[in-house]
Amino acid sequence: MNLGTIAELDYPANQADSCAPLQISIGNVPLSLYIREEALLAPALRRYREFERSGPTGFPIVLNQPEARTEEGEFSFRFNDAKMVLDSRGAKFQGVRHEYALDSLLRILLTMVLLPQRGFLLHGATVVRDGRAYIFFGRSGAGKSTVASLSPEGSVLTDEISLVRYSNGCWQAHGTPFWGEFRAAGINKLFPIAGMYLLKQAKEDRVEPLALKQALRALLPCVLFFTTEARAHETLLGTLLGLIDEIPCHRLDFRRNAEFWKVIAA
Amino acid sequence: MSGHIIRNPKLAWREVDGAMVIISPQDSQVHELNETASLIWKHGEGETLEEIAQRISAEYDVSLEVVRADIGELVVALEQKHLVSVATAAKG
Repeated sequence: MNLGTIAELDYPANQADSCAPLQISIGNVPLSLYIREEALLAPALRRYREFERSGPTGFPIVLNQPEARTEEGEFSFRFNDAKMVLDSRGAKFQGVRHEYALDSLLRILLTMVLLPQRGFLLHGATVVRDGRAYIFFGRSGAGKSTVASLSPEGSVLTDEISLVRYSNGCWQAHGTPFWGEFRAAGINKLFPIAGMYLLKQAKEDRVEPLALKQALRALLPCVLFFTTEARAHETLLGTLLGLIDEIPCHRLDFRRNAEFWKVIAA
Repeated sequence: MSGHIIRNPKLAWREVDGAMVIISPQDSQVHELNETASLIWKHGEGETLEEIAQRISAEYDVSLEVVRADIGELVVALEQKHLVSVATAAKG
């Protein structure tokens, strides 16, 4: 499957061998999770409760069916003992033994499905202020959870994995169920993005604008991306350049306290 | 200076502010080329290295010998990073 050029997904309206699916939507991507095992379904219902939806069948994800051979045109990815097989009609998650494996495969799946829709997942915390989203991104230990913990209750869309997507004529940040140490359920809302901030802990609070290439250099290592396909990476590059062209990107030096909002507001 | 380059087809690339940014998905390396290397990357499959040298020499008013030497060094560096290979046979 050429992940960089999927025009649209063409999954069937109903699964032939189906239990009732858990219907969720993440980043406005409708997903239908077919989970037969109660030991997986119960934690999935709890983890994704904020992202449940009603309506027609979404992109089907069938868990733990007997393993099929990977066919030509399918993308497969292994995560520890679990495996995802994906094509434009749906996905199969195999060897999923606990909710964390399911969550990890869902993240990987979303990176693929969002790619042709000018969307991606980013290691970042998203905080909403005055109706606009501020994304604070960086690698592990940069301070994403700290920023989230310093933000008012209800204003944090995620403290760990931000979902960025171009839709309705603007770049928007979506809440995700993929949280780190802060909270568990997530907030299923979206807001237009005001700015992107590369986190750097420092002795003073300061904001420095990033030029195009600097911003690209900062963003690339923080994007969740799992394919080695060149065309997919070109699509991602195009998406990131489109984002940087419209949304201001900065480096934020901050002291691990809430004073950083003053330099952002300035 | 004969031959032309062949870009590694496993790489993703975009022109950013007039310079090439190249991603190697296999090892997640990001390469940023300087101005001359970017010209080689951009035109090196459609033009011979000699034609690129003449283009740069004329545009930047630098002697052809100097440009040839620069291009030679850059192509070696690009080859060492597995970004390009060089086809030495004359193009048909």
